[in-house]
Amino acid sequence: MRKVFIVARHEYLVNVRRVGFIVMTALVPLLGAAGLFVAAFFGGQAASFLASTFVPEEGNIGIVDELGAFTPILPEYEELIHLYPNEEQGRAAVRSEEMASLLIVPEDYIDTGKVTIITREGGFSAAILEDSDTVQAFFVDHLLQDEVDPEVRRRVAHPIEPVLVSLEAEAEPEGGELSIILNLIVPYFLGILLVMTIFVTSGYLLQGVAKEKTSRVMEIILSSVTARELLAGKVLGLGALGLTQIVIWLGSSVALSGGSAGLLGIALPFMVRPQVLVLGVVYYILGFLVYAVLMGGVGALGTTQQESQQLAGIFSLMAAIPLMLGGFMFTNPNMAFVRVLSWFPLTAPTMMLLRLPMAEVPLVDVVGSIAMLLVAIPIILWAGSKIFRMGLLMYGKRPSLRQVLRALRQA
Amino acid sequence: MPHTMLETRNLVKRYDGFTAVDDLSFEVYQGDIFGLLGPNGAGKTTAIRTIMDIFKPDEGTISVLGHPPGVVRSRIGYLPEERGLYQDQKVLDVLIYLAELKGVSRATAREQSLLWLERLELSDWAQKKVRDLSRGMQQKLQFVASVVHDPQLLILDEPFQGLDPINVDLLKGMIRALQAHGKTVVLSAHQMNLVEALCDRILLIDDGKSVLYGDLEEIKRKHAPGTVRLRTSDTLGELPGVARIEQRDDTFTLTLEGISPQDLLKELVRRDISVETFEVASAPLEDIFIAVVKERDHA
Repeated sequence: MRKVFIVARHEYLVNVRRVGFIVMTALVPLLGAAGLFVAAFFGGQAASFLASTFVPEEGNIGIVDELGAFTPILPEYEELIHLYPNEEQGRAAVRSEEMASLLIVPEDYIDTGKVTIITREGGFSAAILEDSDTVQAFFVDHLLQDEVDPEVRRRVAHPIEPVLVSLEAEAEPEGGELSIILNLIVPYFLGILLVMTIFVTSGYLLQGVAKEKTSRVMEIILSSVTARELLAGKVLGLGALGLTQIVIWLGSSVALSGGSAGLLGIALPFMVRPQVLVLGVVYYILGFLVYAVLMGGVGALGTTQQESQQLAGIFSLMAAIPLMLGGFMFTNPNMAFVRVLSWFPLTAPTMMLLRLPMAEVPLVDVVGSIAMLLVAIPIILWAGSKIFRMGLLMYGKRPSLRQVLRALRQA
Repeated sequence: MPHTMLETRNLVKRYDGFTAVDDLSFEVYQGDIFGLLGPNGAGKTTAIRTIMDIFKPDEGTISVLGHPPGVVRSRIGYLPEERGLYQDQKVLDVLIYLAELKGVSRATAREQSLLWLERLELSDWAQKKVRDLSRGMQQKLQFVASVVHDPQLLILDEPFQGLDPINVDLLKGMIRALQAHGKTVVLSAHQMNLVEALCDRILLIDDGKSVLYGDLEEIKRKHAPGTVRLRTSDTLGELPGVARIEQRDDTFTLTLEGISPQDLLKELVRRDISVETFEVASAPLEDIFIAVVKERDHA
């Protein structure tokens, strides 16, 4: 253990003074500052551009009223919605871009609820129209205009204004909606942080291993420490280095965003459900270890840094897979595929960081994934150090798959 | 019986069907300078790497200070053939780090590093980066790195490679001094003439196989044909037990058969031949090696 610590300290101290590290660490805050500067000037224009691109306008809506409930149109809707006597005329109006879309309400609407929506572009804008508050209010107002008060009609059109309270958070008065959002954001944030740390640190590990290879100091080192001690020391030292860099980046972003993000950061631990936070940190640490150990072994395989980086890239991608699946998971956080990825050690850390806040994760998944990680880390460290040792001693050529397998067998 | 510091038995190491080390057995005794000799590619480095636990042997056993390889790393010093140091770090920092990895405390590591740098006249370079040192200086620094933690057993793979004659002498002196302090040294070399004078015992290998092994003096006595070189201005007549006489100016080379150099000298004195110099010539190790290899190949 002492030797692991000596290697870790050496790796950290040597690399933290490296020009490349200092430049990279300083670059992100500087770019951030520059970005802020640019945003201050062009921010307004950019926002309106984004809005026009991504938020579709509802535009004018035509309606063919075969039911008869919408004739005449109530005055508050006259500007937006226009009556057409039949489908042909309505279609012509959409085609000529006079109307953005056309609703056809059939005679049997009351029984079936079916409304045909005709648009030029198709699916997406039709779906938006269906969800549109205006269109819903339009239907409710016309169907119930003689029977119900306007206040009730408005309520029927928007039956629920949600006030979310979770039982665990109820005890904490300042929780509320913010707490629920934070419960989602913090783990997502930890997930992204994990992926970032993995990318940054694996970069340092690859560099460090390549340096050891080119300086040919390897045999001397291996006459003093085992490959496992060396790999573990490198992982810890360079991991601390990567963490230093990310803390500086985060710190600078807090400073740049004028402290508001900073306040959020201080508030985070109090608002997040404690078990989510604790497990989040556990998965973060385990995730980091499993990848760092893997990267050290993989890094020794390549002959050049580029080659090692390509090999490492394949594995880095695995950490990011759960982030890409984020959308699916919101709808069903406990689906089978998600559970499988939660158990697989390379995807488990990010997967669980995302899953934890979304739903009550079955205890068996939590225990199982942590157990798998705890088993996988020493195995990968063991296998990694074998490959590491063999890879480092082969100068200028990449070991074949057969040689890798033999190195593992010779353990 | 001298204390055995290092022992291999029937050591075999193969690479992809090629046998680099073939059934090597040898012992290194405490306080010896042991030469692992042989031409390039004979398997010296492979043998050393298995001893250092860098490679696993395919067959055979190794005992280093009474343990399997890799157990007592801190008491062994190693100068690998494939060597280098962190180029962009300071000389002193590198030495302290390497000594610490051998289990020496930071303070002692620093003290010893400075002491060794002084011995090898590198004190002025302690705060310089390794890459600023000349080749020769880096070679010396490599040597310091292998001894800075005061090892009991020192394994030097081709320590004289690339050194100029002055530094070869300096290094030889250091190795002798270490021996005088009770350390055991194993060194490999392909230039046999460089280490002949240094070694107590040797193992000479070729194609991974043992060719000659044992006490150097004994080997020489056994393999050197009795040859005597003498200078005289008198004429040498027929001499008993001398098979052949070659003359060059006033120097004669006599090949003896059935007479010891001592008896020959007595005979010369008896005949009142004025001998200016009398020298028992032993063949250089390299000649013995060539003779033995030729003999083996013919057999």
